[in-house]
Amino acid sequence: MALKRNVGLKGMKYRGGGPMLAWALHRISGLAMVLFVGMHIVASFVMQQFGSDWATNLNIIYESTYFQLIIIFLVYFHAINGMRIILLDFWPKLLEYQREATWLQWMLLIPMYGLTAMVMMLIKLGGE
Amino acid sequence: MQVKLKIFRYNPEVDKKPHYDKYEVEADPTDRVLDLLEYVKGNFDGTLSFRRSCAHGICGSDAMRINGRNRLACKMLVKELGTDKILVEPILGLPVIKDLIVDMEPFFANYRSVLPYLINDEPPPKKERLQSIEERERFDDTTKCILCACCTTSCPSYWANEQYVGPAAIVAAHRFIFDSRDRAGAERLRILNDQFGVYRCHTIFNCTEACPREIQVTKAIGEVKRAIATGKIE
Repeated sequence: MALKRNVGLKGMKYRGGGPMLAWALHRISGLAMVLFVGMHIVASFVMQQFGSDWATNLNIIYESTYFQLIIIFLVYFHAINGMRIILLDFWPKLLEYQREATWLQWMLLIPMYGLTAMVMMLIKLGGE
Repeated sequence: MQVKLKIFRYNPEVDKKPHYDKYEVEADPTDRVLDLLEYVKGNFDGTLSFRRSCAHGICGSDAMRINGRNRLACKMLVKELGTDKILVEPILGLPVIKDLIVDMEPFFANYRSVLPYLINDEPPPKKERLQSIEERERFDDTTKCILCACCTTSCPSYWANEQYVGPAAIVAAHRFIFDSRDRAGAERLRILNDQFGVYRCHTIFNCTEACPREIQVTKAIGEVKRAIATGKIE
């Protein structure tokens, strides 16, 4: 009997390279944003209704600079990668140049994120 | 050079679960992975099963996962892998019949669903259905498909759901949709404008990277998406 169709985690090991990583990171960053906004809503609700330490701790986590550094990277990535996909979908002729589009995406993302991260770290180190 | 081969093995008559067998073989850098598999079958284990036919990248029989990527074993040179460790596994997303042989029927069922043949009920002209160079050029890229399934079985959307027609079927549809002699483009677009049609493609590009014929698969899918959205076959 043939071995049934079973991809599961084997798919994660497929070496699709940069484009596949961008696709995976797009999903992960989307989920991370839902998690971030979800934490915010839950913490605000619990704080308002019960004023518990649990909500304060949740606030401390998502308001910490390190957590926000990660979230901002994921938000920027999701936005710019999403723009790349939309542009390629609208003009299929550009799909031939997807490698160049990916390079352009990182050329935008790195300075934008670097600048934001630098400002955030300066504020943190400045003690404001 | 000495090459360490690790090959996926599964014999449905003996094994409950698949396993991997390791072989060490002497190889030239210009040997193909298919040559190594032939050597193992001829010298170490005659039960090793894999498909091969032309062995020149035309028949599309020997698609397999080589070091984690879909490739034709007959086109993959040892030197191109850049390592002396070679892992050979069957393509993903199709049932494994034995060792590296998969059941291609679900793949061909999806292929057949897009009507991959010329449809034109108009009376044939006395000579032939003429086509300009530009009209022929429009779908030239997608005529190169050899139905090896490298693209479809590298697609995460297909891994997630085998009802998705897959890149190869869309490439086949593209080849006829944009053929000026064909008259069933609208019907194919209707078939592909389905929940398991073109919109399952999330522009991951694994298909384009995997295609041994260097077809711009994602571009072809994008053109079909656009034709569905605009209602125009341009």
